[in-house]
Amino acid sequence: MLSRVADSMFWMNRYMERAEGLLRVLLTNYVLSLDKGPYGVHSWRPVLETFGNLSDEEMKQIEYSSANTLQYLILSRANSNSLRSIINKARENARGMQDHITKEVWEEVNLMYHTVNQPGLEKKLSGAEALPSIDKLLKLSLTYVGVIDTTMPRGMGWNFMNIGRLIERAVLTADVTYKQFEQINFDLDDHKDILYWRNLLLSLSGYELHMKNYQGSETNMNVLHQAIFNHHFPRSAVYSLSRTERYLTEVLEENEPPQKQMIYREFGRIYSRVKFADESSIKQITLQRFLQDTKQDLLKFSHVLGQQFFSYA
Amino acid sequence: MDSELLIQNYQTGSALFDEMQNSGQIRLPYQKLVEELKQHNIADLHLKHKLAGDLFMSQGITFTVYSDDAGIERIFPFDILPRIITAAEWAHVEKGIQQRLKALNLFLKDIYHDQQIIKDKIIPAELIASCPHFLHEVAGIKVPHDIYVHISGIDLIRGEDGTFYILEDNLRTPSGVSYMLENREVTKRLFPDLLSNANVRMVNNYPLMLHNNLMSLSPRPVSNPTVVLLTPGIYNSAYYEHTFLARQMGIQLVEGRDLVIDNHKVFMKTTSGLQQVDVIYRRIDDEFMDPLLFKPDSMLGVPGIMGAYRKGTVALANAVGNGVADDKAVYAYVPAMIKYYLNEETILPNVPTYQMSNDDERNYVFDNMHKMVVKRTNQSGGYGMLMGNKATEEEMRLFKDAIIKSPREFIAQPIIQLSTVPCFIDGELKARHVDLRPYALCGPDGIKIVPGGLTRVALKEGSLVVNSSQGGGSKDTWVID
Repeated sequence: MLSRVADSMFWMNRYMERAEGLLRVLLTNYVLSLDKGPYGVHSWRPVLETFGNLSDEEMKQIEYSSANTLQYLILSRANSNSLRSIINKARENARGMQDHITKEVWEEVNLMYHTVNQPGLEKKLSGAEALPSIDKLLKLSLTYVGVIDTTMPRGMGWNFMNIGRLIERAVLTADVTYKQFEQINFDLDDHKDILYWRNLLLSLSGYELHMKNYQGSETNMNVLHQAIFNHHFPRSAVYSLSRTERYLTEVLEENEPPQKQMIYREFGRIYSRVKFADESSIKQITLQRFLQDTKQDLLKFSHVLGQQFFSYA
Repeated sequence: MDSELLIQNYQTGSALFDEMQNSGQIRLPYQKLVEELKQHNIADLHLKHKLAGDLFMSQGITFTVYSDDAGIERIFPFDILPRIITAAEWAHVEKGIQQRLKALNLFLKDIYHDQQIIKDKIIPAELIASCPHFLHEVAGIKVPHDIYVHISGIDLIRGEDGTFYILEDNLRTPSGVSYMLENREVTKRLFPDLLSNANVRMVNNYPLMLHNNLMSLSPRPVSNPTVVLLTPGIYNSAYYEHTFLARQMGIQLVEGRDLVIDNHKVFMKTTSGLQQVDVIYRRIDDEFMDPLLFKPDSMLGVPGIMGAYRKGTVALANAVGNGVADDKAVYAYVPAMIKYYLNEETILPNVPTYQMSNDDERNYVFDNMHKMVVKRTNQSGGYGMLMGNKATEEEMRLFKDAIIKSPREFIAQPIIQLSTVPCFIDGELKARHVDLRPYALCGPDGIKIVPGGLTRVALKEGSLVVNSSQGGGSKDTWVID
């Protein structure tokens, strides 16, 4: 497989995964912002910090306005992480390797692109049609995952696509979990009620799973367990990493790159640190450090992969 | 049915050849189509028109127009009514194009080796010497099976009496074949019953034929040679076509940066190291192919690829240097080539062409400028043209000055009123001028032409310029038995 194509596969899926994560966070926050919640007026600040690059001053201006926030996070061309920017990049990657993805996959990415670039979307997002519009976009990104799963051949491209998707997912989970714990100073001993955690759990699409599986009053610890350590939860960090390991092994065994052992070790370090962590080891280095390091190491690892397989040098 | 009116209101120019209607009567090949149209009302046709646009958009069959820094994607306008050609007309076109390509291939071999045609004074040496597309760099290179023009798209028009003429030879990197194939796919959805009842010959084996031809060029005697399609990249206006053909043939779509030359062999960079490439279907123009030999600042090509080509470790389709054969001034000599190489009479005539370097012909053109179309020999896509019947005195004067300055860079032809066909425009049937570009493939076992081609249509009323860059669209083209 061409290095350039492997690179596009990896990034197309990273962007599409990011788009789905962003849309789910937007949908959750939008719905919650309509209620007067137990924690005062809803602020978009945590979301803006995760998916934007605004100064403190600029954030103050829009954090209480859903319309302005959606405008910035979905349509803004100045925000390199807005949905429009992400989808444009995903499509550019898809276009550059159309002969390696199925026609169905291409049409799905293309449809998403045309939907997010349609002229009327701005007006819809600032009015009563905001919710159905976000909903529709989220459905499209879910369809994309289904189309990939049912039409893409299981070869080298598939492996790179999945590594891209899973690394992005682990990073996203670490990110939104970090934001939610940051507001309570990363306190693991406190017991915030479920209403507080609803935002995070819904953003990860894990609210129902939580209600079914976690009883008891240790809410903070339970939420952390689900987001990081629960092997049955498809958005947990450990699940994403265990799947990444599988695809990475196939890539390394088939291509035999010169740095094979180094890549194994790099990934093994990240994976085992998450896999074998527990309450006391996290408290030792603080939860903040733990989440930050996990994210940083994954991004570094993505860079190592790029140098090994995708570089044009 | 209001569509009865559609047919009744169809107006054709009195002096023109209309392919559907002859003095108020519907011609035989179009009768089934007309019957079908009568089954639909105008709202139906509008729906079909919209459906066609949506299909092109959702599949990404677009070209990008740049304005205010934002790339706007446009679809290539498509008219829902097919253009119909009879089996007898097609047989004539097919024979004519095969004859022409045979001669042009022999000419290319000759001009880059012995130049016998110049020694025998059939073609003046200065005409070739002054052709910017004649490349000394490829003289003497032996190409597999002596085939130079593997893929061609020769443009034809029909004149006032219905005669087919050759308008120009595109022997370098002709595009549009993907539109021919996609137009047919869209028509299947618009008029499913009609298509199956009308005995239309199929076109969709083109990619298979092309793939087989490309495989047969492999310099290495392996059963499964590596064939790739080399594209300039996603910003090229024909990029959709490149991906389409690569996908249909199941070959890799590569860019210049994916390829590297080692010891005069071409390799592509893959995740598991370098892999040798045997055949390259290139969609990059000659001058961008190799920065070591041609344009030194080209980022699209591969440094050193011409060395590998000369060594014969890699085959290129089309051959490099074909531009000398489709130069607009050399065009006038193609009938002479047919006589010289094949000893045959030309089946498909040229449009009469005046050489500006000849004093008598130039004076004649200057005296009759309003009846002439003047073209620059080194430009395509409908640019650099003067339509004498529409030009102002000032424009004519400018062109005359330019011609006197460098006569070799211009040719002139009498304006031919292209034939018209019906198009569905703004809820009515309107007659519009068309040309025809059939796609021929030359392989070791002869020249094959897919029955059909791309019909390009000048959508502006009265316009004779069909190029997409000048507001042209396209139609599905049916050859019926």
